[in-house]
Amino acid sequence: MGVLRAMRARPHDVDGDELDAAGNLLRRAGRGDQVSFAELYDQLAPMVHGVVLKVVRDPAQAEEVTQEVFVELWRLAARFDGTKGSARTWAATVAHRRAIDRVRSEQASRDRLQRDAAHVVREHDTVVAEVESSLEQARVRKALGQLSDLQREAVELAYFGGHTYREVAVLLDVAEGTVKSRIRDGMIRLRDELGGES
Amino acid sequence: MSDIDVHHLAAAYALDALDDHERAAFEAHYRSCEVCHTDVSDFRATLTQVSSAMAVPPPESLKDRVLAEVAVTRQLSPAVVPAVMHIDLAARRRARTVSITLAAAAAVVAVVIGVLAFSGRSQSTYANDLARVLEQPDARMVDLQNKSGTAGSFKVAWSKGLGEAVLIGENLPPAPSDKAYELWLVTPQQSMAMSVLDPATGGNVHRTVKASADPSAWAITVEPKAGSPVATGSIIYVANV
Ligand SMILES: [Zn+2]
Repeated sequence: MGVLRAMRARPHDVDGDELDAAGNLLRRAGRGDQVSFAELYDQLAPMVHGVVLKVVRDPAQAEEVTQEVFVELWRLAARFDGTKGSARTWAATVAHRRAIDRVRSEQASRDRLQRDAAHVVREHDTVVAEVESSLEQARVRKALGQLSDLQREAVELAYFGGHTYREVAVLLDVAEGTVKSRIRDGMIRLRDELGGES
Repeated sequence: MSDIDVHHLAAAYALDALDDHERAAFEAHYRSCEVCHTDVSDFRATLTQVSSAMAVPPPESLKDRVLAEVAVTRQLSPAVVPAVMHIDLAARRRARTVSITLAAAAAVVAVVIGVLAFSGRSQSTYANDLARVLEQPDARMVDLQNKSGTAGSFKVAWSKGLGEAVLIGENLPPAPSDKAYELWLVTPQQSMAMSVLDPATGGNVHRTVKASADPSAWAITVEPKAGSPVATGSIIYVANV
């Protein structure tokens, strides 16, 4: 399975306790333990639903996709390899991919392109406004604030807008190559600010 | 996309911001590229933190629906990595029963194409080649079926319009001593030798070859080290197209 193999061995986890807990729950779920899976759901559902909602936007569809994501995690639980990334990162990766699959039909993509073209600026404000309160949220907000406007717009339009970098280039009216480097530079900066570990 | 630097797509890939062709090309590349692998893992972990900061609890009722569906959903078995084995004689005998006969019809003299011109290319050139092929409207990609019982896998991506094919071999055992692998483009009329692959130490091989014929199958045989103009060995990997 692509997502699994995509995760690489990590020598250590910074937030070891919480992550190991999720990883252990996932491993137990992989042996058919539905009680552990229910606990895992409690730990991960807010994040999974949050990122799906951000991308899909329609609350009813976001619920459907969140359900799909968890059923997928259940199906694949036995293939989770904790040496290749945390359970939380695996869940976030599956969730984002599922949300993208939901929105990236041709029609939906055209509609989003039109809608987002009108709201590029406001979209960014909304995202930053939502990142609040807890320590982690403050860190993320600070990290996003370290990006240049164009880096942040490019990353957010890609990740939360569900656009390909080519579509982002159209939205921001810059060359594809420019968007690619802004996305890359922005992600490197975010990684340096936040660290690679989740 | 021919001048693209595939190494620089890791961020866009982690953001799910590549189109399907680029995504396939990057996935084929990054599994064997330590730099991109690290980048993707790091970027995904970073994005997980961003996502965690966006957390919105779903409605209470969703949990029951999820658990109800889970209760009636079959789980997949763990992925089991096959043990590395050498190509044994029994496997070769089994492979001979494959229906495609490579020493095929009409005994047309096969054409060896492109081997020298394309050998010795760098990893990123390979990735660019693959990206260029996959970008073609008529691009196709197949997994070759492993007939030998050994570890390792082969994929071929090709575009008849572009006239190129890219072969991707992964986790291969070394070829038997004095032997090499050889790729064949099989048509109803003839089997064309595409390239001789000699992974002396096993591992991964990538090769781009000129291929303008319409394949009915792709196959890999074990041949003498220098390659053979007609297939003489047994088929160890094959895909009907
Ligand atoms: Zn690379």
